[in-house]
Amino acid sequence: MSITLDQITKRYQGAPVVNDVSLDIGDGEFFVLLGPSGSGKSTLLRAVAGLTGVDHGRISLHGRDVTHVAARRRGVGLVFQNYALFRHMTVADNIEFALRVRRMKGSLRRERRKELLRLVALEGMDDRLPSQLSGGQQQRVAVARALAHKPEVLLLDEPFGALDAKIREELRRTIREVQRELGITTVLVTHDQEEAFALADRIGIMNLGRLLEMGRPEDLYARPATRFVATFLGAANLVLARHTARGICVGGDPVTALGSTSQPATRDHEVVAVLRPEDIEIAPGRHELRSNFLGLGTVEQLLFVGANERLRVRLNNAANAGRVVTSADSNAAEALLEVTRTQHDRRNYPVTTGQAVTLGVRRLHVLATPLSSFTACATSDAQAQALTEEPLLVQLAGRMKTRVSTRVEPALAQAVEAAAPFAGVAVINTDPRAVNTVQWLLQHGAEAVLLLPPQAPSPERVLIHWVDESARRATLAVSASLLRHVSAEAVYVGILAEESEANRPVGLRALLDARSEAQAIHGLEIRTELGYGDVAEELTRRLTEAPNQLLILGVSDISVLTQRFAALLSRTESPLLIVWQPGDLPLQA
Amino acid sequence: MAPRAAAGKWTLVQPSILPGFGLTFGFTTFFLSALVLIPLAALVSMAASSHWVDFVHTVFSQRALASYRLSFGASAVAASINLVFGFILAWTLVRYDFPGRKVIDALIDLPFALPTAVSGIALTTVFAENGWLGRYLELAGIKVAYTWIGVTIALTLIGMPFMVRTVQPALAEVQSELEEAAEILGAGRFYVFRRIILPIVLPAMLTGFALAFARAVGEYGSVIFIAGNLPFKTEITPVLIVIRLEEYDYHGAAALGCVMLTISFLGLWAINHLQSWRRGRFAATGR
Repeated sequence: MSITLDQITKRYQGAPVVNDVSLDIGDGEFFVLLGPSGSGKSTLLRAVAGLTGVDHGRISLHGRDVTHVAARRRGVGLVFQNYALFRHMTVADNIEFALRVRRMKGSLRRERRKELLRLVALEGMDDRLPSQLSGGQQQRVAVARALAHKPEVLLLDEPFGALDAKIREELRRTIREVQRELGITTVLVTHDQEEAFALADRIGIMNLGRLLEMGRPEDLYARPATRFVATFLGAANLVLARHTARGICVGGDPVTALGSTSQPATRDHEVVAVLRPEDIEIAPGRHELRSNFLGLGTVEQLLFVGANERLRVRLNNAANAGRVVTSADSNAAEALLEVTRTQHDRRNYPVTTGQAVTLGVRRLHVLATPLSSFTACATSDAQAQALTEEPLLVQLAGRMKTRVSTRVEPALAQAVEAAAPFAGVAVINTDPRAVNTVQWLLQHGAEAVLLLPPQAPSPERVLIHWVDESARRATLAVSASLLRHVSAEAVYVGILAEESEANRPVGLRALLDARSEAQAIHGLEIRTELGYGDVAEELTRRLTEAPNQLLILGVSDISVLTQRFAALLSRTESPLLIVWQPGDLPLQA
Repeated sequence: MAPRAAAGKWTLVQPSILPGFGLTFGFTTFFLSALVLIPLAALVSMAASSHWVDFVHTVFSQRALASYRLSFGASAVAASINLVFGFILAWTLVRYDFPGRKVIDALIDLPFALPTAVSGIALTTVFAENGWLGRYLELAGIKVAYTWIGVTIALTLIGMPFMVRTVQPALAEVQSELEEAAEILGAGRFYVFRRIILPIVLPAMLTGFALAFARAVGEYGSVIFIAGNLPFKTEITPVLIVIRLEEYDYHGAAALGCVMLTISFLGLWAINHLQSWRRGRFAATGR
């Protein structure tokens, strides 16, 4: 491995900007770190270069641990967004800088300089000053300068940021050619997905300091695991659907589209489906459709006619479909689907605004996230409304681009049969009698229950614990999904009944299992800590120890909630997320 | 601003979208003339109206020559001291953030604001043979007050803010990215300083040097107390001029003034020339 990052964490004033990132980059690989501004990608690159220290974790370059090695001894080349050329030196002096530092002989220096200038297609520019060159040429000089001392790793920090579109493409090609010719391991940081697609062997996508997913560009595009990646890489319609025994139901009918990779449902539950705009088909009627029927719709907007036509279509059976979110407009409350069609399709079936159409779907991808939507539950309308305005819930739903619906349920207080089953995450206020409500909600279809104390801030630390091993899978899935949307540290707390030499290995093994499963299945890095004593007491103690913590508690036997956690659930000042994975999987209609 | 033909008519300037050139240029000429050129011309004409034998006698007298040596020598030494220590001061203020930075930053300007005579009295109190510091320097065999060293100290104090205030903005402009780039290319701290930072701030340092030097040459108030004004030893040219004036020897004073004017002008011109030569070498087109 050329570059190995192991659990890198960097904090600024306590808040993690790079959060537990682990990464392996192979020899000669072109790796692109992609993410919105403020996602921590540049900080991570600077840490690799040695310009920023890390608070936790290790960095190895070609098997050599360089975590505490000075930047100038790391053997890397770095290209800055604003070139950072030495303006008082000529192009030749700039390129030879690293060679002069190393006291290389004049003739060898000249030879190397000529070679580098040829590589970046700037022959004969030796005696120019940076101020006499265009932006694109300056960045070429910067690339040549970064390569002069034959570094083993080339790092590029948004190198095209300051250039206009045409020059950008030219330079992109040059960099790709240079990289291929030298076979040098390269990491490029950018916020431009087009750039990432054009250059990368592999892409790693960062958000809120976490490395969410990585893989080959085409795999990430076709099968994203998270909402963020689905909407950040290309355009996507996120649709709430129901996963039933018959298939994925977006509207009334199940869609058995190709590429829906999920297994048959054991329990009818809500899922998030990704529909790419180019995978949606428009036809006059059901019989003309060549793909699976999705629903009936009305054309609302014709956005752009060029090489492709982009339209927005309202799904008429939206009541069942739930909220549709396109990456272009995350605030659209209506079920508007974004659709792109080729000119060929447009000529075959031209549509105008307001026209009723039939929608089909060629391909549909179901996200693995268990947190599909939020439902604020209360016994009165005012209470439910107040819940939806809780800052933490607003933040989570906004970042997840999902729906917060309200549900006024008098049954909450009496715990009788609910009018209709719940879906997704039920959200309730912290309450002394919460334990019964939680139990009741979980039994009536909620995937998880979030207990929110009033005005709870966004957590800085998320504690994770499951009461028994059969709840592990579901708890980890919920934890991973939640942690992608908050910038908090994740800590799995293993708790043993008593501290003794005999059971210590057992506890440590549980911690290691938890960590490796989180890493392997969800790509989530978590810390682990070991505690002793009664589970509920230990968790309560840890929650009261520091502010701004959130606890995710997984159970498989729902009765333990009343037996052992009633006190914890009723008195806490921190938000709690209760996950239930039924041990014997009762099939519900 | 070369004269050029525009529609058959000679104009001094190229047409500009900014109006008011005539007015502002008029003001500039008027102010320069009233405050600088006419008084200086009067000085030269006054000196010229004396007989040339008298002129040479005044200008090349042993006492005058000694005073030139002290005035320009001490000013050059003071400006050089400021070149080094003023840079360090500016560096500290720009690069580091520490409690009290704002206070120190404000203190830099104090020599600007204080009447120079006050600085002179203060320095004399400290450096006199029985002063706070002078007492110990005396033990070490160093006499400060009433020697050329005292003169230099006074001139250093007076010139310091000029140096710091010109170097500060130039240092602030050195992007940390440049240093990072050099570091990644393998350069050590000292190498980065010598090859990257110094070349960038050198023009500002030269300007600061010129300003501090010019200020020191013209200084009078702070020096007279600490120098003791012994002829041939600690008498600076401005003091000599004042003495000539007190003797009602206006022609002699003007002659000495002319010499100072000429030397100062040549010095400043040389520094400006050096700067434009550097600029031409390192950045052919303007930055």
